[in-house]
Amino acid sequence: MNIKKLGAGFQAWLDDRFGLSGIAQFLKEKPVPQHKHSIWYYTGSAILIFFTIQIITGFMLILYYRPTLEEANASVARVMTEVPLGWIIRSVHSWSATFMIAFVFVHLISIWVTKSYREPREITWMSGVLLLACSLFFGFTGYLLPWDDLSLSATKVGTDIPRSIPVVGLWVTKLLRGSEDVTGDTLTRFFGIHVCILPIFLVLLLAIHIYLIQKKGMSVPVEAETRGEDVRTIPFWPNFVFREMVVWLVLVGVLFSVAVFLPPSLDKPADLMAAAPEGVKPEWYFLFLFQTLKIVPPKILFVNGDTVAVLLMLVAGVLFFLLPIIDNKPLERKGKIITVLAYALVAYALIMSVWSLL
Amino acid sequence: MKIKHSLFTRRQFLNGLFGGWITALLVTFVYPVIKFIFPPYKEPDEVILPFSDFEGMAPGTVKNYAWGGKPGILKKNEDGSYIAFVGVCTHLDCNVSYLPDQKKFFCACHEGWYDEFGINIGGPPPSPLRRLFVEIVPPDLIIKREGVK
Repeated sequence: MNIKKLGAGFQAWLDDRFGLSGIAQFLKEKPVPQHKHSIWYYTGSAILIFFTIQIITGFMLILYYRPTLEEANASVARVMTEVPLGWIIRSVHSWSATFMIAFVFVHLISIWVTKSYREPREITWMSGVLLLACSLFFGFTGYLLPWDDLSLSATKVGTDIPRSIPVVGLWVTKLLRGSEDVTGDTLTRFFGIHVCILPIFLVLLLAIHIYLIQKKGMSVPVEAETRGEDVRTIPFWPNFVFREMVVWLVLVGVLFSVAVFLPPSLDKPADLMAAAPEGVKPEWYFLFLFQTLKIVPPKILFVNGDTVAVLLMLVAGVLFFLLPIIDNKPLERKGKIITVLAYALVAYALIMSVWSLL
Repeated sequence: MKIKHSLFTRRQFLNGLFGGWITALLVTFVYPVIKFIFPPYKEPDEVILPFSDFEGMAPGTVKNYAWGGKPGILKKNEDGSYIAFVGVCTHLDCNVSYLPDQKKFFCACHEGWYDEFGINIGGPPPSPLRRLFVEIVPPDLIIKREGVK
């Protein structure tokens, strides 16, 4: 009996137990439409690639990281200076987070403007919005872990924002901080959220998201669909996956190049009693919120300005989550206005972010 | 008055009983979980500092002390009196610093400004810095929360 036969026998044995050939057949038959907007189909798997890199580098960093007030900063310093290749592992983890979130934004906007969330893909969009929330929360909790001056101030501000929400706000702040103030408990809590709670939620949501994409098939642009055109397709496996692999290779190359030449900094350990340093800034994807909070006046019609801003953001978040239900006539005037809103939102975020850097 | 028909079936009654029982059981599980997540926190009523550490301060300067887990700022006024603050911005909780040459408190997070008495004068802060009472009972300097005797 040669190896090939043995392998085939083992495959048949596994197939008999798992029924994998059905999945393989499904992937071979799954059509991927080819049209002028097909390029956006590649953004989903790009996010997955960066997420996979996050998991692997995260597993590595956790071998040395210590989530306590006394040791956190020093343990990151040790990773950067003593652990063999530690600096690049941390750099890749930090940059991959940036790349992942950047691609999440591109993915989101592409789906918004091509209206891929329209019936019957509403829940795919909603699970995507929750995945976005998870990703941003990942970034927010991860930012604190090096426990330096900048990360402490960013966390103080970020965890204080919910406080302006009436009734439940203070409890949300306390829940995040583990106290009224940011303390060592906050660090340990953020670590637990970052490495334990968020991964479970994200993977669960991702499973729902990907299942729904398989169940409902790839969306085609609304114009092609209404004209009833036959859209040319290619099989998902192997044609589409091989094309995706080319994209992954390029992205990983860019990621590692950036990570080698621009490793993240590590400031001196955070001091809970020290004044906030000049030039406090959150991660780039929160800059537009940061700038918004900076320019909101202290009082708007006798109400605390921040309360107004935070409540508006909450309402915007809910509307955003319900977008597929609101945008139920994609080809009519309402649908076109909603598309323009997407561009307006991008413009707003860009202007605010650039302003915050001036 | 006697009703001819029962308002709900035996099955509905049992489902309600069973469902209610499960809900009650879950609530008893959830309560301790919530209690566990929120640790007790108490702000100090007062802190007692050695007055000798602060006696020699030049007028118009500040010195920090610990107000629980927060920074406190003690300022000596030009007339020699003392004024104490919780050194935390009322906008979004960042620690503020005192700029003696400008006679202002400054929060670097969102560029909030307070005058030398902690009154918010610029940027996003919605209210003045929190004031604390200062009492000097040599050899102690006592800093108290409002309303504490």
